[in-house]
Amino acid sequence: MTLTAILAQQLVNGLVLGSFYALVALGYTMVFGVVKLLNFAHGDLYMVGAFGGFIALSLVSGFAGVGWLGVALAILLSMIAVGFLGVVIERIAYAPMLKAPRLSILITALAVSLVLQNGVLTLSNGQVMAFSPKLGFAGIDVFGLFINYKQIALAGTAAVLMLGLELFISRTQYGRAMRAVSVDKDMSELMGIDVNRVIALTFFVGSALAAAAGTMAGAYYGSIWYFMGFLIGLKAFTAAVIGGIGSIPGAMLGGLTLGLLESFGTQIPGIGSEWKDVFSFSVLIVVLVLKPTGLLGKSEQERM
Amino acid sequence: MRTSLRSAAAALAVAAALFTPAVAAEVKIGVLVPTTGSEATYGQDMANAVQIAMDEINAAKGGDTYSLVIGDDGCDPQQAVNAATKLASSGIAAVVGGYCSGATIPTLKIFGDAKLPMVITAANSTKLIPANPGNAFLINSTGNDQVAKALEVFKAKGVKALAIVNEGDAYSQDLATLAQKGFTGAGGNVPSFETVNKGEQDFSSVVTKIKASGADAVFWTAYYADGGPFIKQLREGGYTGLIIVGDGSTSTELFKLAGADAAEGVLALSSPTPDFLPNAKAFADTYKAKYGNAPGPYAALTYDGTKLLAAAIKTAGGTDSAKVMDALIKSDFKDGLAGEITFRDDHTLARSNFIVLEGKGGTWALAKY
Repeated sequence: MTLTAILAQQLVNGLVLGSFYALVALGYTMVFGVVKLLNFAHGDLYMVGAFGGFIALSLVSGFAGVGWLGVALAILLSMIAVGFLGVVIERIAYAPMLKAPRLSILITALAVSLVLQNGVLTLSNGQVMAFSPKLGFAGIDVFGLFINYKQIALAGTAAVLMLGLELFISRTQYGRAMRAVSVDKDMSELMGIDVNRVIALTFFVGSALAAAAGTMAGAYYGSIWYFMGFLIGLKAFTAAVIGGIGSIPGAMLGGLTLGLLESFGTQIPGIGSEWKDVFSFSVLIVVLVLKPTGLLGKSEQERM
Repeated sequence: MRTSLRSAAAALAVAAALFTPAVAAEVKIGVLVPTTGSEATYGQDMANAVQIAMDEINAAKGGDTYSLVIGDDGCDPQQAVNAATKLASSGIAAVVGGYCSGATIPTLKIFGDAKLPMVITAANSTKLIPANPGNAFLINSTGNDQVAKALEVFKAKGVKALAIVNEGDAYSQDLATLAQKGFTGAGGNVPSFETVNKGEQDFSSVVTKIKASGADAVFWTAYYADGGPFIKQLREGGYTGLIIVGDGSTSTELFKLAGADAAEGVLALSSPTPDFLPNAKAFADTYKAKYGNAPGPYAALTYDGTKLLAAAIKTAGGTDSAKVMDALIKSDFKDGLAGEITFRDDHTLARSNFIVLEGKGGTWALAKY
């Protein structure tokens, strides 16, 4: 392989990985924007989404098969189911804590994460399950650079979901309400916005995006297990911080940046796969030193 | 009143200690294995093998009655320490098991301090040898023996440039470093030496790097849970060279996770597994009848380990730990499914017991090397 071919291949690898990070990072950033909560259970919603997709795929495989259509339906079903799960979690675990000190709700989020992880651990007996849709090995060859259809579909779906979210936030009435609540919750309430409903909607959308990412990861990588959400939760949180937590375009940019940093970090001699996390986290530190609010974050004025 | 009660109790304890060897006793054995987490299938399998060995021992009239206490180490060093501490205080006479080397190493000191003899039946990192306080015995050949076998295979296949991938834990890193040293020592070239995070599913950038490095073989030294997806991504990424995996990836789950097509022709270094042992037929049948599935790769060794321990306790005439350990070091155990067991001075198995398997049509077949 020539150096250009290697770099181009790593670019594709980084963009695919970055799409996952971005989708999960969006959930972190939306929830943080609206209720100022670092939802540590978010990575586990990704994991539950993967299992949801796994079950959904076996349900729809009877009439839709386990090809592209089956996987698309599984993603959709898993998004809806996990979206509602997110709302239920918000109602049971977070809503009573919204007026409590920030630290209490943070601990609650950790508890929710443990409940989800151990719940799935019990149900799955801790087994790694093979998620095996039939999507084939086919792909296209662009100047010696091989991109398979799965990668295209994956990055495409992620892009569509992110674009859809951006339009939803910027163009619809609910999106406007969401932005209003994130700026000033009390004032929004006075203006007649149903804040509780907006918060529930935020959790629904964030969780559904995590479920989409989880199902796609299961279908793409071929295996799911109860602990799969931990590492990606951590990385997606990092991505959200790089991009500027609370900012939606920031989460997308941060996710793609982190994915690219990791794949190129692996290729750089002297860094390699062993040091790629050190490399990407060092870049994170540099970004935060130069721009403490993240790449696209706005500095917030605390009004007294 | 209190004092007299206490002295009476002490007298009883002394009497019990004196008379225990004479009568058939109840012996509790701790089983340290992961029964949850990524390696749960292997761990449960080992616990089942211990149970079968105990059933057979208990069926013999007049002997000691054995029962087991499972300590779930979750293949995690921290959880292993908790499990070992709990086991050490639960009245056990000895320990069998030990699957993940990384999780087994920190428990050695705990069992050593508690003076509990331990037969390690699967874990085989060479790091176990210096960490052994003297109470542990390894009946699975260590990484040194595995690398020796791996080098034979590379030579037979004419491998010139080797890529090595590990997960940074004690077991896989140890095997990877030993293989790197051995292969470069034998005049080979290691253009790509990679470490990936356990549980991280995306190997695409490592695959690209390996392809670009021109390696004609890839050696995966870690476990099957990530090994399956890794093999799948290597083949999807267009890598066509030889793939060889270490003994942590010999579960047939590998074929489900990688897909049978991608895993076709993959070579695996394996401990002697029941499927490929002529003496293990009866054991495999009993196992299948009792648990409904075929015994996994470490079942035979764990069965042997339990029998070895029981034989040592019999020779020692009781569960006194010094005597049992003395009996273990002098063992010349010939009833094993996986061949005879004698120990070197460093408490490792005196011979190499590795075999080579090849992926064929979604399962393993014995390959001759």
